[in-house]
Amino acid sequence: MTHQLVIEPLGERIEVAEDQTILDACLRQGIYLPYACGHGLCGTCKITVLDGEIDHADASSFALMDFERAEGRALACTAKLKGDCEIEADIEEEPDQRRIPIRDFSTKVETITPLTGDVKGLRLRLENGPMDFQAGQYVNITLPGIEGTRAFSIANAPSDNGAVELQIRRVPNGKGTGYIFDVLKEGDSIKLSGPYGRFFVRKSRGGPLLFLGGGTGVSSPRSMILDLLAEGYDQPITLIHGVRTQADLYGVEEFTALAARHANFRYVPALSSEPAESGWPGARGFVHEVAETLYGGNFEGLTAYLCGPPVMIEACVNSLMRGRLFEKHIITERFLTAADAEKKSRSPLFKNL
Amino acid sequence: MSGTKKLGLRQRYEHMTRGLDWETTYQPMDKVFPYDQFEGIKIKDWSAWEDPFRLTMDAYWKFQAEKERKLYAVLDSFAQNNGQTGISDARYANVLKLFLTGVSPLEYAAHRGFAFTGRHLRGSGTRVACQMQSIDELRHVQTQIHTISHFNKYFDGLSEFPHMHDRVWYLSVPKSFFDDARTAGPFEFMIAVGFSFEYVLTNLLFVPFMSGAAYNGDMSTVTFGFSAQSDESRHMTLGIEVIKFLLEQHPDNLPIVQKWVDKWFWRGHRLLGIVAMMMDYMLPKKVMSWKEAWDIYFTEAGGALFQDLARYGLKMPKGAEIATAEAEHISHQNWCTFYQYTHAAPFHTWMPDNEHLDWLSEKYPNTFDKYYRPRWEQWAKMDKEGKRFYNGALVQLCQTCQIPMVYTEPGDPNTICFRETQHGGQRYHFCSDGCKDIFDNEPEKYIQAWMPVQQIFQGNCGGPTVPDVLNWYNLKFGVDNMDYAGSPDEALWNEWHADKVKAAS
Repeated sequence: MTHQLVIEPLGERIEVAEDQTILDACLRQGIYLPYACGHGLCGTCKITVLDGEIDHADASSFALMDFERAEGRALACTAKLKGDCEIEADIEEEPDQRRIPIRDFSTKVETITPLTGDVKGLRLRLENGPMDFQAGQYVNITLPGIEGTRAFSIANAPSDNGAVELQIRRVPNGKGTGYIFDVLKEGDSIKLSGPYGRFFVRKSRGGPLLFLGGGTGVSSPRSMILDLLAEGYDQPITLIHGVRTQADLYGVEEFTALAARHANFRYVPALSSEPAESGWPGARGFVHEVAETLYGGNFEGLTAYLCGPPVMIEACVNSLMRGRLFEKHIITERFLTAADAEKKSRSPLFKNL
Repeated sequence: MSGTKKLGLRQRYEHMTRGLDWETTYQPMDKVFPYDQFEGIKIKDWSAWEDPFRLTMDAYWKFQAEKERKLYAVLDSFAQNNGQTGISDARYANVLKLFLTGVSPLEYAAHRGFAFTGRHLRGSGTRVACQMQSIDELRHVQTQIHTISHFNKYFDGLSEFPHMHDRVWYLSVPKSFFDDARTAGPFEFMIAVGFSFEYVLTNLLFVPFMSGAAYNGDMSTVTFGFSAQSDESRHMTLGIEVIKFLLEQHPDNLPIVQKWVDKWFWRGHRLLGIVAMMMDYMLPKKVMSWKEAWDIYFTEAGGALFQDLARYGLKMPKGAEIATAEAEHISHQNWCTFYQYTHAAPFHTWMPDNEHLDWLSEKYPNTFDKYYRPRWEQWAKMDKEGKRFYNGALVQLCQTCQIPMVYTEPGDPNTICFRETQHGGQRYHFCSDGCKDIFDNEPEKYIQAWMPVQQIFQGNCGGPTVPDVLNWYNLKFGVDNMDYAGSPDEALWNEWHADKVKAAS
């Protein structure tokens, strides 16, 4: 049994299980609420219940006063939902975030393009009207006969809103991607919902931008960069796209052409395992290493957008912070599975990294 | 949706509070804030300070008033129901003696420290945060005194706590810790107390005392614990914000902050030795061993914190490994010291009984049977023969932490650890590399330390004999000190107990 929880000021809607605390549900969805003790004693995670009924459970009567309970306050780390609820939490509001309602879409596979040996590009034509989305958001697709949904970032620009393009790497033994690679063909119908996620460009901040993409993690940066350049964003934009070898690289022609057309856009493909004798004239090394070289280890003044596998994100965050770029200017989206969240205890030092 | 958008909590708070400070014009800002530069910390942009909590003074009073009403309701009912007779054992009262003489005055010192720091940091967000914490700390010391004052009606060793805090030899350990922090610059104070103490080590201080109180039937102390802990959220968040802010503001701050983290971790670790002894030896009903608490609160939680701080280039405090190794020894070495000097401390000591020794053997399989159990068994034997062991010599003290030189070499628990430094033609002694490093870094500060034993020898403590000194401490011989067995506390407890048995039969 689950309940719906709407979190203001984000307007985000999430599912919360019967015996799950509000804090746990939010953290698992990548929504950071301030917290400290985690068991109802300190009061750091205080929220306001705008609508609906909750159970305070073990909230200390000192951490949550009677007058506060009467005013609809609650501790997220102990409170559980008794029905659908709406809360207001102490979350920084992002002026660039748009509230776009999530909808269900029927789509038809327009094209399937092999991008590399293990990456395919899918273009899905939206059949019941266009999708309004922000560059960087993702969709959940439902595949016939496969349980659950699969999340993929949208790779096309928001202006191209009659279709969604996805870049999908085959996961070894993965059921969902296996279906896409082996069974799915052009003309098939797929259902999807979206747009999801809070990974978007903080355009109002301005300033030079650095996009770091690993593998198919370049999809979101592609959407973002196409959007920015089309709008005439005039600050320097750099994309470092890291893959293993030349055989794994895709999108080179498009990005090279964009760089030729836009003086403020720089494109740096980076190969981490390219054989030394291959004659590859470009950058070698992992994304974070190439970034360090490119910026001389100093990232001050930038805003960085990171997208890729967790090891790459971790390495990049470390490099950026060593180069004096801190949490406020490092934007990334964490996809936490239940297993990830339990894997290791983190301190409350960072909110999103 | 309506046209005017509702502001978020953060924005509402900013609208209400930002811009309340101003650039002074009658005097240059550097003269108004004379202490926030000499430490070498560079702040490029005070406005980058994120208010770690958004609370107005108006709301603050409202919260604290309700906390007080609740706490005092519990204290009243505890007193009316003679709660003191329901504790696990009268030995437990000695935990409160240790707390009231050793810890509560630190709350007061923290109050003064945050008031000073709040005055001398020029960022307005930081000033407001320090002001609230300063008032919190004052509230904590008051509620602790009020809570424990009920026990003072029945048990000895409590009534002279402020006097003793200033004079008794081992109480110079906690006192000098805060004196050191408060005489540092405002940034060092924030790292020392706001970060190292309130964030990294606080769980090792308060959780053991409060859960000890809960396990031993002292609901009044548990309640002030809850009441204080509800303020701790702000203190911990402030500690985290401080270290992030300093590390993000300028790369030159990192080595300075690292040095402070190393120093205050080590000083804190030394101070917590009394908590270790309290957990392993003084609680009639045990909560967990010190070693277990250390593993949970430092090795795991602290480990996760320093793993995250590594992104800033900050390393695990120097001495963390040694401190973790010492968690196997420190409680035993401390209680052995107080056992030998029971005549000179205003609380009672006792020999652990067999059941207690077995518990210690189980909790410390690597060290207790090998190094400490034989010692207790030998002293028990001597006691039985009428030769209870007292140590009559005045101890040599570590110049930094002021703890008697009783700790052993890392990796060699049979050898006392001695370190020394020559400075200005004098020789200074230290219990560890950690304490020696702290001195060597600022010798001019630590040569001024008020060393209790040296002061006795210099004739500044009431006279040359033990009774003279105890008298100067306001310590009543045979009442406040010596073993629990034969003490007035024990007699009173037995009387209560006899009444209960009589009432039941």
